[in-house]
Amino acid sequence: MEIERIRALRERALRELAEASTQEQLATWHARYLGRRGEITLLLRGLGSLAPEERPMIGRAANDLKEELQQAYVRQETAVRERELAARIAAETIDVTLPGRTPRIGTLHPVTQMIRDVTNIFAHLGFQVVEGPEVEYGYYAFDALNIPPEHPARDVWDTIFIESEHEEIVLRPHTSPMQIRVMERRQPPIRVVVPGRCYRYEAVDATHEWHFHQIEGLAVDERITMADLKGTLAEFARQLFGRERRVRFRCDFFPFVEPGVDFAIDCMFCRGEGCRVCGDSGWIEILGAGMVHPQVLRNVGYDPERYTGWAFGMGVERLVMLTYGVPDIRYFYQGDLRFLQQFDRIVP
Amino acid sequence: MKVPMRWLRELVATDLSADQLAERLTLAGLEVENIERIGAHWDNIFVGVVERVEPHPNADRLVLATVNAGIHRLTVVTGAPNIATGQKVALALAGAKLYDGHSAEPKLVTLKPATIRGIRSEGMVCSEKELGLSDEHEGILVLDADAPIGLPLRDYLGDEVLDLAITPNRVDAFSIVGIAREVAALTGAPLRLPDLASLEGPGDPSLVTVEATDLCARFVAVALEGIQVGPSPWWLRRRLQLAGFRSINNVVDVTNYVMVEWGQPQHAFDRNRLRGGRLVVRRAHPGEELETLDHVRRSLSSEMLVIADTERAVGIAGVMGGLESEITEETRAVLLETANFDMRSIRRTARTLRLRTEASARFERGLDPNLGWVAACRAVYLLTQLIPTCRVVAVFDHYPSPRRPRRIDLDRNELPRLLGVDFPDSDVEAVFHRLGFTTQIRQQGGRTIWTVEVPTYRSDVTIAADLVEEVARIIGYDTLPETLPVGRTVPVEIDPELRLIRQLQNGLVAAGLHEVITYPMVDDAALRALSTHGDVVPERLGWYRRPVEDFVRARNPIRPEWSIMRPSLVPTLLQNAAEQLKFNDVVAIFETGKVYVPRGRDELPDERRAVGCLLAGMDAPRDLYHQPRPVDFFDLKGVVETVLARLGARDLTFRPLTHPTLQPGRTAEILLRDRSIGILGEVLVTVAERFGIPWHHRVVVAEFDLPTLLEIGLEPVTIRPLSRYQPIEQDFAVVVDEGVPAADVAAAIEAGAGPLAVVVRLFDVYRGPAIPEGKKSLAFRVVLSAPDRAVSDEELQRIRDRIEQQVRRRVKGALRR
Repeated sequence: MEIERIRALRERALRELAEASTQEQLATWHARYLGRRGEITLLLRGLGSLAPEERPMIGRAANDLKEELQQAYVRQETAVRERELAARIAAETIDVTLPGRTPRIGTLHPVTQMIRDVTNIFAHLGFQVVEGPEVEYGYYAFDALNIPPEHPARDVWDTIFIESEHEEIVLRPHTSPMQIRVMERRQPPIRVVVPGRCYRYEAVDATHEWHFHQIEGLAVDERITMADLKGTLAEFARQLFGRERRVRFRCDFFPFVEPGVDFAIDCMFCRGEGCRVCGDSGWIEILGAGMVHPQVLRNVGYDPERYTGWAFGMGVERLVMLTYGVPDIRYFYQGDLRFLQQFDRIVP
Repeated sequence: MKVPMRWLRELVATDLSADQLAERLTLAGLEVENIERIGAHWDNIFVGVVERVEPHPNADRLVLATVNAGIHRLTVVTGAPNIATGQKVALALAGAKLYDGHSAEPKLVTLKPATIRGIRSEGMVCSEKELGLSDEHEGILVLDADAPIGLPLRDYLGDEVLDLAITPNRVDAFSIVGIAREVAALTGAPLRLPDLASLEGPGDPSLVTVEATDLCARFVAVALEGIQVGPSPWWLRRRLQLAGFRSINNVVDVTNYVMVEWGQPQHAFDRNRLRGGRLVVRRAHPGEELETLDHVRRSLSSEMLVIADTERAVGIAGVMGGLESEITEETRAVLLETANFDMRSIRRTARTLRLRTEASARFERGLDPNLGWVAACRAVYLLTQLIPTCRVVAVFDHYPSPRRPRRIDLDRNELPRLLGVDFPDSDVEAVFHRLGFTTQIRQQGGRTIWTVEVPTYRSDVTIAADLVEEVARIIGYDTLPETLPVGRTVPVEIDPELRLIRQLQNGLVAAGLHEVITYPMVDDAALRALSTHGDVVPERLGWYRRPVEDFVRARNPIRPEWSIMRPSLVPTLLQNAAEQLKFNDVVAIFETGKVYVPRGRDELPDERRAVGCLLAGMDAPRDLYHQPRPVDFFDLKGVVETVLARLGARDLTFRPLTHPTLQPGRTAEILLRDRSIGILGEVLVTVAERFGIPWHHRVVVAEFDLPTLLEIGLEPVTIRPLSRYQPIEQDFAVVVDEGVPAADVAAAIEAGAGPLAVVVRLFDVYRGPAIPEGKKSLAFRVVLSAPDRAVSDEELQRIRDRIEQQVRRRVKGALRR
């Protein structure tokens, strides 16, 4: 009697399983037969109410059936999943050359990128990044930097002046005033880099801007030497422009340093052979530098017999132009997105 | 400064090539920017002598010239009007490369034999233009009589000219002699200074009176007679030409020659045209005028130093001479001025008159007064060589306080202390001696000290550090080792404002905005354009207030549009957007620049870091997946909220704002803990139009002030523990009056939901048939989660009740079932 029922159950379950052709139907089947309230489960649970002599045989039959159905289920499930997968693959083939959905990410201005690159290098060499005022007293912009009133850099032609009554106030023509401000505020050892905007009274053309950015560097301590300046700048240049760069120090003049230096790297475009970028010289001038002039140290109350220091200043736009081959400095401040969007690297 | 190599080699016998010298000079601080190579292409051109000139049988204007150039002797056809028997000329043979004499642009052509009017011509006699020497093409180039026949022209006339950029400190190097001294110091080659006449001084005080003694340290006057003015010989003209000067006549050429050679400007006056025959050095009289050599009548001011005769100014000292007393063919007597003027005065005068000359350029760098006498002697030497009848009749030298060589003490430890490398004493002394410095060494307190005497022409060397530079640059900066600084390390802190700027930049870039940097200057018109009617500068400029007094203004702006340091980022962003919209459908930009808030009149302004964001045009470009729509307020609000939240400004609120630049009803003040930090709104179309943005574009801007943001303080991120229990999501639709702000409804729900609400998000605003007129339905999804338990049905019911209560009480709303 019970055996008959079990046989009928088996046939029905196997038939229905064979008819289940989707994962959904399989789940329904599984719930009906093997689930917590499935027929097999209930059957096994009902064994207790059987007569003791029937129990072993019926029990075994029920357990065998459960085992069989479970195995059949796994087989059927595998087949269904494989079929469904194959169908899906067949149906969902796409043209992988269609464009992706592009996340809209902006860009940092190339000048910001270069300032970050440069200041990151110096930060790792132990330099602190500070900034200072763009509207500046003449004293900081010139006098304290050993640029006397009759010096060419002070001509009205080179400097934009701000309306004032007694004090001379200018738009700083370089970041060097921060040398003075930093030294006035602190005591050695000093190691800072100062990025910022500068302004000159200058006609604008492909290589000249009246508004531009500089990065100033200053190190002051006992036993700071020009060889250290050379080593530091060489390390900087090699981190920025490649390990293989050769560097050149040549004598140059800036009123606030002595000795003064022009720092160049071998041209990365022609590797020093001479090309249009380097003006056939094989060298690309990167920045001006030198040992802080003793008078400048005295102006901030430092004893030049005790302390030495060096300073450097570089034009940021020029570094960008060299690195990326930008042909015209005017691109930077026209804000043309067609230009800016090209600087789409992810900046560290 | 142009330095012809042949001239230089006459003064210093170096074996180095022009390229090698250029390299050495450049490294030593005298940068050679260019080397011009004269005659580099002169193959097949020789010095020849014209033996015979015959008429051309078939042409009136042409002649046949027989030219002997040693192994080459040929007859050429020429139209040169100045050709004559006995002349030395440049004979070009077939194959020579010459410039086309008739082309306006320089064009090199190869000479081929030609038959001209029936006569075969195998070569050509050349003009200066054909050789590339000048634009002169009227006649052929006639060489000096002693030019050796048969010599390749390149060997006779070719040269290399170094073009040097002289730094402002090195006035001594503004001369061939100065460069020669430098070459001698760098290479050790012997120096041969030019021949000088010997003059006797001080002589005749009636020649000149120096009244402005404060502006004239020295005045050497030489009176010469027997002058015969004429063209200079070829060699002199040629040298001046190579140095960048035009030949005028023999007398003027000599003064220019001496200026190029020694760096000392001179001026020759026609003495017979000087009233009183003498000179007075004084300041100009008020209202005095002078027509200078360039035929310009100039008004002088009483600050300007002039050279005058007894009645009127005849020259602007150190800048340019007067036309009336210039040297002409009639000049028979010359008064030669070789003076030393105050550099500041000359600089001011040249600047005021906008007349920067070769002379003023030298004076304003501060010339050595000792040069005056030498230069006068050199000029007299040359004049008497060129004009045999010329003789000195009187000399006067005003030089009350002669300049003496400077003595500088140099502690020998200064070299390693500054340079980080040491040199042997003998090397250091050798450098000084080659530079013409003398040294004495002494011991003092256990230290070795050199006393170095520096010639007066090296006025740039004044302190020990200057001597260190001399040693380093002559030995060579390339010998410096590369080391890294030793000593104490400095803790490197990050300025909080700079860090915040970087974070903002990163956040805004991630939100899809492009950083721009604009010129931070505007004008009154741009500020007026920000007002509703465009007529006055509005009280509010972006987030900032119009200053009570005036803006930060440039006294000498580059252009009128750039006369005011901007008081807000909004105007420059709008200018930028107007340009961008011409090329782009989508404009999403930001700037992290400064605004300049004036303080006192003689005080520096408050430079405040501001952030400005602007969206204009479409939200994104059209592509496969996206249908663009115009941007609006909420696009930028989302950016601002998201980015600021990630900086730690998590509880921003937005309050409707009336703003002169922005559209009423679509403008908000941004508040952080009830303090205003910025503004956000859609730009009035009338304002945008004034900036050149067409009416149909929607423009949204935001501006906020970083110092205020930092002052209020940003909160660090706090992390909520994760709950193991399934959160409950519940939707609440609240019906309120149309005028109730969504933020108030959200606040009511948050208040009702209590601490278990981890998310309260508005997902729908509905108006329609199901909702009464004048009302709206706001649908919120609320996610409830407790860290330590599953939220029970009872709790959920309590929360529902509380939300209903809060919504009723705070916004007079009802929950929709």
